[in-house]
Amino acid sequence: MNEKREQSVLVQRSWMVAAQKIGAPLISAALAVVVGSFIIWASGYDPRAAFIALWEGSFGSPKAIGDTLLKATPLILTGLAVAYGFRAGLFNIGAEGQLFLGGLAATWLGLSLAGLPWFLLIPLMLLASMLAGAAWAFVPAILKARIGAHEVITTMMFTYIGRYLVSYLVIGPLKAPGQIPQTAELPGAGQLSRIQALFSEATLASFEFLKLGRGHLGIVVAVIAAVLVWFVLKHTTLGYENRAVGFNPWASQTAGISVQSTTVKALCISGGLAGLAGSTEVMGVHHRLFDQFSSGFGFTGIAVALLAKNHPIGVIPAALLFGALAAGAGRMQFQADVPQKIVLIIQALVIFFVAAEEIVLWLIRRRQKEAVSHAG
Amino acid sequence: MKGKKSKVLAVLLALMLVVAFVPACAQEEPTDDPGADQPAEEEVTIKAAMVTDVGGLGDKSFNDLSYEGLKRAQEELGVEIEVLESKEITDYESNIDQLATAGFSPIFAVGFLMTDTVIKMAPEYPDTQFGGVDEFFDPPIDNVVGLNFKEQEGSYLAGVVAGLATKETFDAKLNPDNVIGFVGGMDVPLIKRFEAGFIAGAKSVNPDVKVISLYAGNFTDQAKGKELGLSLIEQKADVIYAAAGAVGLGTIQACQERGALFIGVDADQFETVPGSGDVMLTSMMKRVDIAVFETIKSVVDGTFAGGENQVFGLAEGGVDLAPYHDFDTKVPQSIKDAVAKAREDIISGAVTVPDAL
Repeated sequence: MNEKREQSVLVQRSWMVAAQKIGAPLISAALAVVVGSFIIWASGYDPRAAFIALWEGSFGSPKAIGDTLLKATPLILTGLAVAYGFRAGLFNIGAEGQLFLGGLAATWLGLSLAGLPWFLLIPLMLLASMLAGAAWAFVPAILKARIGAHEVITTMMFTYIGRYLVSYLVIGPLKAPGQIPQTAELPGAGQLSRIQALFSEATLASFEFLKLGRGHLGIVVAVIAAVLVWFVLKHTTLGYENRAVGFNPWASQTAGISVQSTTVKALCISGGLAGLAGSTEVMGVHHRLFDQFSSGFGFTGIAVALLAKNHPIGVIPAALLFGALAAGAGRMQFQADVPQKIVLIIQALVIFFVAAEEIVLWLIRRRQKEAVSHAG
Repeated sequence: MKGKKSKVLAVLLALMLVVAFVPACAQEEPTDDPGADQPAEEEVTIKAAMVTDVGGLGDKSFNDLSYEGLKRAQEELGVEIEVLESKEITDYESNIDQLATAGFSPIFAVGFLMTDTVIKMAPEYPDTQFGGVDEFFDPPIDNVVGLNFKEQEGSYLAGVVAGLATKETFDAKLNPDNVIGFVGGMDVPLIKRFEAGFIAGAKSVNPDVKVISLYAGNFTDQAKGKELGLSLIEQKADVIYAAAGAVGLGTIQACQERGALFIGVDADQFETVPGSGDVMLTSMMKRVDIAVFETIKSVVDGTFAGGENQVFGLAEGGVDLAPYHDFDTKVPQSIKDAVAKAREDIISGAVTVPDAL
């Protein structure tokens, strides 16, 4: 009798833990919307119209959903990159630089091997971008493992080097003829096609929801990456060591896990994921490399990872939220006359409430205690 | 421990975003649109719109200037206006798409980064007229007009001023050394036009002058602009011309701290950069506002020059020097005469200014 009761309490508790994990970010997002509405209203705009426009611009039509997917794709990958590092107790703030190197490697390879068929070229380019991102994270990783140089400083510095390297290359050696500093266009076989381009006109006519506008196959790459990262963390020795070191490096060391080698592996895998974000942007969106092809995806990825609580699958909805905010912002300023910078406030509020989540958790726990004491 | 760390980071991030927002919202009131409320006088109201570069409004440069052109068209021509700001490069296409779908025409795409997007979108909306600021279309597109400027001509006049001023002592900030400086944003053909014109102008009146050019590598990093400015002053430059967007704001600080004169760019920076009067000798104005206004006017008149790449030089009023403002009484008449002569020579064609080094 007693045992049975204990078991049911345990089951109940695991449900509550799950509900908390998912519920807290949701509540944070909802609170952000409420406070955001107030700010919009206080600035003299109509919050209802603003959020309707935000919704229509992000999920209101297949085309809008395509825009949300387009913007979420790099954020899933950079979010994964940051989350993977966090799980080993490392803060890879330099995902942006690794992303630039990834984009550079993919572009260079795509232009050099222009004759290859797509089923060889695309995997090669994706692989190259991961290797380049990992290589860019390798030096900070070694510095961290060998002499303890803090990865926040080193990865950030490498971001500057990476950005300016790309800047130099697109102005100089890799520049295509013409006024604009950018590389030549990738061959068709090196481009990730738009999702709607996979279907015939007839299919599109009967299945309207497939008309995803600019949404491209990079989203598939990103989702596969998320599932793989989840699998690695959950079911492999590599992932176990990663989590163990993140949880307690000293205990891990004592238990025979090499903290140094785990640190290097973690940062390189993190860098590889960020590099992949660079190649999907180049291959799916711009089809060429230029100086400003990323608008800080590496940094927004930090916020995505925080919102996802560093869970690889959680990164997907978190990135979709940020992608939706970005996609809907244009519609919002057009339809509701609300400056798109308001969206920045809402993003900041989401992060803020995630940070303030302890308060939310505390409220939930109090409720539960009350419920339990009532039940008792 | 990890949880604590990430929470601190989260708070920091939130603060960063808020801080990033505050100056941005302080500067602007972009989409307020009183004109939309007024009853249309004509049967068909022209609806003109622009899409900003990622720099957005408040850049004190081409985005703001284009918006000035739109506002003037709203006042003088009674057209309806709209401006959409781009936060990311991927916003260009969706912003243009929204405006075109809603029947806006002409639509201005501001900045050379948008060239590809216009090339892609214009054929999809053949009935919409497009204007590309700082964009050159080769081959030309029927419903697009490229709005380009002869920055080298205005820069030539700036060079004449700088080349003569460094030989003079009308201000305590001028030293005896025959050296002037140039700060560029990115090392691209557009900025090279500024540099080439500036050097040609300076050498035309002062053949022995030494012109030192430095590039920041971007258009946003003010700290870099200050560093470059200090470095130029260190090398004895006493007049510095910056064609580098917001980077130049840092260079102004360097001039104020270490004592050198500055020549502004794009707008009359005496007006747009408060408190810079003590070093702001003059500015090379690029009248994007005029180009935008004239294009809207051509749509209203039905004379839209689609398929052309227009070039606005000195003769068209597309570029010119701003007033000397606080330096007006100090600048010797000889310099003013030399500028007037150079202007005449360029307009008459007696002098052709090089557009590359």
